[in-house]
Amino acid sequence: MKEKYNTKLYNWLDERFHLDSLVSFLKHKSVPDYRNTIWYYFGGISLLLFIVQVTTGILLIMYYKGSEDLAYESIQFINAKVSFGWLIRSIHSWSANLMILSVFIHMFSVYFLKAFRKPRELTWYTGIFLLFLCMGFGFSGYLLPWDELAFFATKVGTDIAGQLPFVGEFLLKLLRGGDDVTGATLSRFFGLHVAILPGIFIVLLSFHLIFIQRQGMSEPEEWKNKPESEKKSIPFFPNFALHDLLIWLIVINILAILATFFPWELGSKANAFSSAPVGIKPEWYFLFMFQALKFIPAKIWIFEGEVVGILTFGLAGLLWILVPFWDSKTPKGKRNKILNYVGLFVLAFIIIFTILGYLLA
Amino acid sequence: MTDNLENQEKKVEKTRRDFLNILLSGGFIAWIAAVSYPIFRYLKPPKIEVVKVNSVKIGKVSDMQKDTGKIIKFGNYPVIVLRLANGNYRAFSATCTHLGCIVQYRKDYGQIYCACHNGRYDLHGRNVSGPPPAPLAKYDIAIKNDEVTVYKPSA
Amino acid sequence: MSKYINTLIVSLFLLNISFAGNKIFNKSNKQKVDQCITCHLDDEETNKEPAHLYKQDIHFEKGITCAGCHGGDATKDDMDEAMDKNKGYIGIPNKAVRYKVCIKCHSDANKMKSFGSNIPTDQFEKLKGSIHFSESLNGSTPIADCVTCHSVHNIASVNSPKSTVYPTRVPYLCKSCHSNAALMKKYNPKLPTDQYNKYRTSVHGKQNAKGDTNVAECVSCHGNHGILSVKNSKSSVYPTNVPKLCSKCHSNAKLMDKYKLPHDQYENYKESVHGKALFVKQDLSAPACNDCHGNHGAVPPGVESISNVCGTCHNLNAELFEKSPHKKVFDKLNLPECETCHGNHKIIHVTDELLGVNKHAVCSKCHNNTKKDKAYFAVLDMKTLIDSLINSDSSSKKVLNNASQKGMDVSDAMYSLKKVKQVLIETRTVTHLANLKKFKSKIKKGFALTSKTKKEGLDAIDEYYFRRYGLGVATIIITFLVILLYIKTKRMDAKKR
Repeated sequence: MKEKYNTKLYNWLDERFHLDSLVSFLKHKSVPDYRNTIWYYFGGISLLLFIVQVTTGILLIMYYKGSEDLAYESIQFINAKVSFGWLIRSIHSWSANLMILSVFIHMFSVYFLKAFRKPRELTWYTGIFLLFLCMGFGFSGYLLPWDELAFFATKVGTDIAGQLPFVGEFLLKLLRGGDDVTGATLSRFFGLHVAILPGIFIVLLSFHLIFIQRQGMSEPEEWKNKPESEKKSIPFFPNFALHDLLIWLIVINILAILATFFPWELGSKANAFSSAPVGIKPEWYFLFMFQALKFIPAKIWIFEGEVVGILTFGLAGLLWILVPFWDSKTPKGKRNKILNYVGLFVLAFIIIFTILGYLLA
Repeated sequence: MTDNLENQEKKVEKTRRDFLNILLSGGFIAWIAAVSYPIFRYLKPPKIEVVKVNSVKIGKVSDMQKDTGKIIKFGNYPVIVLRLANGNYRAFSATCTHLGCIVQYRKDYGQIYCACHNGRYDLHGRNVSGPPPAPLAKYDIAIKNDEVTVYKPSA
Repeated sequence: MSKYINTLIVSLFLLNISFAGNKIFNKSNKQKVDQCITCHLDDEETNKEPAHLYKQDIHFEKGITCAGCHGGDATKDDMDEAMDKNKGYIGIPNKAVRYKVCIKCHSDANKMKSFGSNIPTDQFEKLKGSIHFSESLNGSTPIADCVTCHSVHNIASVNSPKSTVYPTRVPYLCKSCHSNAALMKKYNPKLPTDQYNKYRTSVHGKQNAKGDTNVAECVSCHGNHGILSVKNSKSSVYPTNVPKLCSKCHSNAKLMDKYKLPHDQYENYKESVHGKALFVKQDLSAPACNDCHGNHGAVPPGVESISNVCGTCHNLNAELFEKSPHKKVFDKLNLPECETCHGNHKIIHVTDELLGVNKHAVCSKCHNNTKKDKAYFAVLDMKTLIDSLINSDSSSKKVLNNASQKGMDVSDAMYSLKKVKQVLIETRTVTHLANLKKFKSKIKKGFALTSKTKKEGLDAIDEYYFRRYGLGVATIIITFLVILLYIKTKRMDAKKR
């Protein structure tokens, strides 16, 4: 009986949309099956976490109020008075952090498995942009509870943005909606967080996913060079998809456990006139840059140390983004040892400075 | 012979598969229920609908007698509402500015009175006698359709 | 002949000088001839005129001539030569500049020493900043200067009963302006003018009238030269300075023993709630000595009026006390109303231990455990009820704290608990009425509140466990699914192979 209904539905859609070619195409999508297959899950995990964010975010908008007088109280309200409000809010906060972590892992795994190589350069570029958008989500969302930590973290963060030469002042005013962090900043960040960034994100994400569907899973050199008998792959539908689903279920469970046992905190309400809490630091995904900047001397030759630091990071970021370009020099099939070393260096740098950021708090 | 065996195996396989599928579908439905339940409960508005109390309805105009006062809960703070002898309504913060006791309206004094140290305020909330160093904060009154609402003055 | 007369005149003259010189030398080391007095004495008709008066003046004794203040040449007997402007003669200085004459010497420490005087020389410094000197009608003439109080030409030493500023004469001096309503109106219409009359009703005033120089008069409290407005925080009679001022005498054991008065009031007051409010919290509405005893008419309140005095601030408690059966009984037994239970100077924060029949309680001082004494059992009842409410409140608080520690929001219940505080205040106040029924009706509200808040706390804790329970259920479902999926995928992968 079920079979009949399924076929009926399928035929109805097929008459209109000619699903056959799509179905046969999808049937052939496969994932290489070897020791590095595990990394292939992280794209999906990032996608899942994004969906969780959108869902919990929409639910939160039902009760959140984005004005200076009410933001903090509305979060308290959600936490205390709304049924399961505590759950939705804590999931949203935990999922945000896990998503950024997952996206970082996804990026590094793509880097080391060289999945950015031709023909997948655009996938890489859209992906990097998506990463920046994620960090923008993180930065803008962090202010929304309007508690002390949020307020001062935003102040420090926008201060750093203001240090950029030429565009710094303009950027600072644009971000803050004025000279200082005020209710105007909150409004802007709220608009950014729930409208502008999601809009851009969805467009880029769609491109990113379409590219992947069109081009299929990347097959790294290591796997390609295996003898035919040992070359194994998993069909995406339904095998890998079910594996994906399994992992997604576990991730959702982890989120629920984190939300229940480690509920996200809410400090005291932001007060522009109080002094910044001692040891104020940004969230962990910005921490390595923040900590590294602290080590730079105040003046390097005639330039301000901080500006040099920021520009260096900017330059490093640019070079990282352009890796498909640098790597294109490598003749096909060869390993690029330099790239690996650079990647390891960057990874180590980020990890070490993040740890230092916490130790030296 | 082998056909039968094969068929039997296939049948056993099928039943196992069907059983597994049934369990899976059942499991998924349970999971969907476990996820939807909190979401639906969440969307249902809680008893206290608003985050911050900006106004409190206190009843009809005729509910309060002339020349009386009563204390109401305004968010987390007490507010004293007076109905003067001429029928007008007034409202002030009910926290005495001296040491924080709750004030009351004394008909016999025609003043707002604090029982703790005999502080007195006039009908405009101004501290006129006793220890209170400052007047009582004023709240606004709006009367619409015979309903009296106390709300916080803007700014 | 002329030679003889000349010699006579010269010798007489020399004799005169030596006599005069002797006279002056006996009194000071400056020989000065005062021709002014000689002439003016002849001119004057009564003893009240300057030259006559000056004979009593301390400056005269010190050998200062009229020219010492008025300028001119005291050695000349010719009027024009003596009252010569070129020799510094200033005539009768007007009130606006009169003081300059006095301070010429009195603000100069060396000059004062040369006359053998040890009196202070800061009078004008103090006077300059005082209210008497800074206020004026025409912008230049001070209200009071040296002459206003010390008078002129017959100035006596402050230690002499003849001085206008001798302690027994000070009240009359100050009264001459401060009880003159028409005069005071010109400077400050709001200032009362009854201080003198009130003073004379006080113990200080009565003693002072009898000639006692040990008691306080105007100068003892307000100062002499540097008198500031009461509203000035530097004034000695500014509320926060009053207790120390009174204790200057009232904490002096030797002085107080003479009058058989205690001398521990200031020490006690400092420990009291009133003292702490005034000194530590700087609450100017807290009573200092004068608020209960009066300032000019200072007298301890009589036994029957103590509740009225305390009642000027503690109005409600006084009202209740006066309606209670205690009022009549206390007055009959000559018990000092409020003071009986609360003390007078060392009024400390009241605890519930004051109520009841235990060691620290006051009720059991009169009420005994006998059948006839219904009040004893009423008191016992009241104490038990209050203790029980406090227990109930603290157990509610414990539950709420527990819930809040677990991360649950119980701010509403915490707010309700504040209302319990209000109930306790009202209940404790109503004990002054000494009526068990009223007491019970007030405290009933408190129990309702504590049971409600306790329930809210327990509900919050239940919710906390419910969440974990819910998570457990969800985890079980998910784990179940995960296992099933795992089996399915394993099968699928096997099939593929």
